[in-house]
Amino acid sequence: MLGGGLLPGRPYVISGPTGSGKSILGAQFLLDGLRRGEPCLLVTMDEPPSEVKSNMGQFGWNLDRLKILDATPDVRAHKRVRSVIDVGTALDVRDMEDVNGLRQSSVIHALEVSVHSVQKMIKQEYANRLERAKESYKRIVVDSLTALKMFSMQGEDSRILIQSFMRFLSELEATTLIVSERLHRGTIETEFFLSRGEIRLHKSLDGNVIRRAISIEKFRGSRFDDHIRPLAITKTGLLAYPNNQMNFRTESATLRVGESFLESRIVGEVSAILENVLHQIDEAHQRQIPVKDIEIAVSRAMLHFQRRHYQKALKQALACDSQLRERLGTLPPPPPRVEAPKPPELIR
Amino acid sequence: MTGPTKIRTGVPGLDKMLHGGLVPGRPYIVSGAPGSGKTILATQFLREGLEGGERCLFIALEEPPNELKINMRPFRWNLDDLELLDANSDIRRFEPTPILEISTETEPIKLRSLPERIRKTPDFESQEVTVHSLQQLLKKLFVKRKYHRIVIDSITALKYFCMREFEEILTTQSFIRFLTEAEVTTLLTLELPDEGEVPPEAFLARGEIRLHKLRDETGIKRFISIEKYKGSSHEDLVYPFDITNAGITIHTGTADSAS
Repeated sequence: MLGGGLLPGRPYVISGPTGSGKSILGAQFLLDGLRRGEPCLLVTMDEPPSEVKSNMGQFGWNLDRLKILDATPDVRAHKRVRSVIDVGTALDVRDMEDVNGLRQSSVIHALEVSVHSVQKMIKQEYANRLERAKESYKRIVVDSLTALKMFSMQGEDSRILIQSFMRFLSELEATTLIVSERLHRGTIETEFFLSRGEIRLHKSLDGNVIRRAISIEKFRGSRFDDHIRPLAITKTGLLAYPNNQMNFRTESATLRVGESFLESRIVGEVSAILENVLHQIDEAHQRQIPVKDIEIAVSRAMLHFQRRHYQKALKQALACDSQLRERLGTLPPPPPRVEAPKPPELIR
Repeated sequence: MTGPTKIRTGVPGLDKMLHGGLVPGRPYIVSGAPGSGKTILATQFLREGLEGGERCLFIALEEPPNELKINMRPFRWNLDDLELLDANSDIRRFEPTPILEISTETEPIKLRSLPERIRKTPDFESQEVTVHSLQQLLKKLFVKRKYHRIVIDSITALKYFCMREFEEILTTQSFIRFLTEAEVTTLLTLELPDEGEVPPEAFLARGEIRLHKLRDETGIKRFISIEKYKGSSHEDLVYPFDITNAGITIHTGTADSAS
């Protein structure tokens, strides 16, 4: 789907709702690196490493050589009797095979995670690695940025912090996958436009079965497959079916992913056109132009709209719109070609 | 009486939509969701200028210039003479360290002599980009030489990362005013959210070219429309376009709108 794979040395984003398989995809990406003998690092901020270990153990993957950086914060010390320690100074990177049990919050101090400390930790480990083994990390997964954003960036300017964090990751020249949940669709989230690509996972309910799908939303510097493809979580991990089409339109057991995505856009478009059409009908009434048939057509369009047949509604509405324009004599909408364009504004 | 002379954008079909091209010396906005093709369109605009022997400047705020160089390679455009200004802020220091304003430190680099690897943040100082310093730097550059075309990629990054102590809209407005006074034709790219409201910056420039990205069962469909163009007539319709090895091509032949 990516036309061969990711371009190395750049940060990418995996997005999707909870339970869509983001962490699995991240782990699988690291697994592939391990099999090629590349040093890989997992920075976990959501799940404690022990849970990651047992969860990924189910796939039978050999992740023993994976380095894991535990950046999960401790139980928060509410009373401030315990001194707060930055993770950056206290924790070390461990091999996956050494992970056992959940780290208990210490009674004496509580670990707190901030972007800065995570950054410091990664940097330290990166340098250590370079010194020890004369090789640098090739693949890094940060799981997840949403956790970091929600818990560790309070009160600070998160956009600039993320920008700096992404810059930091790109300067490491390791291929980085950042797991991020899209919290609000209406806002522009920094990591999405700064990343060089976005892999989006979809999850939807179809009857009583959960359907999964995967799509590439953005990939700088390469062509890519722009279809939404079905995705399954199998015993050996995620499996995308790059040759299968997602059928949106056929009945019953089909995948309806992406349709809702498209729908939300069409709804806006159709309602705008319909509004415009109604406006024109009003005008036609005023100018006493007969538009009875169009009114009927419009009501049909609105019926489609109510029944959520947006494609039909759009077609119908567009037809009405053009007919109306013709009748009102506003088509073509006289582009003011005749009128001389304004002289360029005076700029001083 | 004819209108003002216009310059070509270099994007097949777009000039037709703009009824001849862009009125030179003014700022314009190219908006669209992430992955809709803004950077490619902007680069194509610069390439057109380079072919005519014009001086062009690309101000990169989103991605490191070395990646831009690699990303644009598949198109086989001759961009050797394109000047690139790296306005990416460095990794932020959390300890107090000397912060360098880019106005004193940075110079645009020609694409041909640009290194392939990313610039590393030096250990003891870090470069921070603010609107103020960027503006000063540009002012200095404009005195030295005349630029014909400038692309700023993107104004969203500028707003998000470079305006810490400033009022965002006002500062953007003043920055656009600054560009107007410099009388260069500027394309500013603007990120749009997947859904929801269009950021107010869209209304500040003299024109807005909007890129749309729609997904349906046959893949991603791309459309382009002119939302606003002061001082000229333009096409009202939404046209489909493709990104191919030759860059962006707009299909103006079909009168089909985004249905």
